Amino acid sequence: MKSSLVGQAVILAALALLPAAGEAIYFRDKISWRSAIAPSEMVTVEQAREWGDTAIWVDARPEDEFATDHVPGAISLNEDRWNELLPQFLAVWAPGKKIVVYCSSLSCNASREVAHRLRKTTEPPMENVFVLEGGWEAWLKKR
Amino acid sequence: MNKTPNAQLPTPNAERSEHSTLGVGRSALDVRRFLWRILDFVVAGIFIFAGLTKILDLDHLIADLQHLSVANAFADLGQLSLASPAEFASDIDNFKILPWPVSVALAFYLPWLEIFCALGLVFRFLYRGALAILSASIVVFTLATIAAKIRGLDITCGCFGHASQNWSFPAHLITNLAILAALLALLFKATSRNSLQNAV
Repeated sequence: MKSSLVGQAVILAALALLPAAGEAIYFRDKISWRSAIAPSEMVTVEQAREWGDTAIWVDARPEDEFATDHVPGAISLNEDRWNELLPQFLAVWAPGKKIVVYCSSLSCNASREVAHRLRKTTEPPMENVFVLEGGWEAWLKKR
Repeated sequence: MNKTPNAQLPTPNAERSEHSTLGVGRSALDVRRFLWRILDFVVAGIFIFAGLTKILDLDHLIADLQHLSVANAFADLGQLSLASPAEFASDIDNFKILPWPVSVALAFYLPWLEIFCALGLVFRFLYRGALAILSASIVVFTLATIAAKIRGLDITCGCFGHASQNWSFPAHLITNLAILAALLALLFKATSRNSLQNAV
């Protein structure tokens, strides 16, 4: 085709919009456009506290921060030392228990990544994995 | 009658030499074209793979291929499902450059753009436009990766879906620069040939 380079690029960019729009419509209920974490996968400090002993708290922050302070009873589990820390988590986990993962603040990614790994890569894949809204900072405010 | 056989005789050596020169020149040209086409296909293959890993859930298939479990790989092919765009959106979001809604939009859009551009290379359809888009996207992605590294972000590479999640920063950089070099070489060749055609 003999159109200009920019013209060709625009046509290609426009063509790619069509299947992308179709995919976006297909996944409209499965991804949130407002937050990185789907609302159904988040939990507030109040809700998580109400779960009491039925919930396991997982601290996804680096170990030095965990050592400084953490939610009482929380287990350290982060991506850097996943293989070393996972056994101690599995020792207390039981099917049906809720898992509350938190990291430093609202903007951190560690809790999301750890929650994702627990859901997808463990055998069997874990259900009832939630990310604490606001993370450790929210916990401190409502302690 | 004077015959001048030598004057009328064909000059087989000269013709042969001319033919052979042309033949060698043509075959060298064919080989060069063939090699450029191979480069087209290699680059297209990379981007088709990159696009597909974000659209389809290929984790099991890739793992089986890595372990040379061909039978399992064929079984995986029969059970392919769509990948969650949330994972690629998270990978984009991890760069901490764009707001979440833009990351989601790009997670839907970029894989298809990669595939369409790659098909453009394969079928030489909108060829220069495809090369320009792919080159620009690699440049942007490389700059974003470098910026993330400078800012101390330990991010998951989303370039080949989760197949590349454990790649180190130098591995990212070397791969990107190699792909960019190939794209720029193809783009330079395409634009120079195009300008020559226009001049003629």
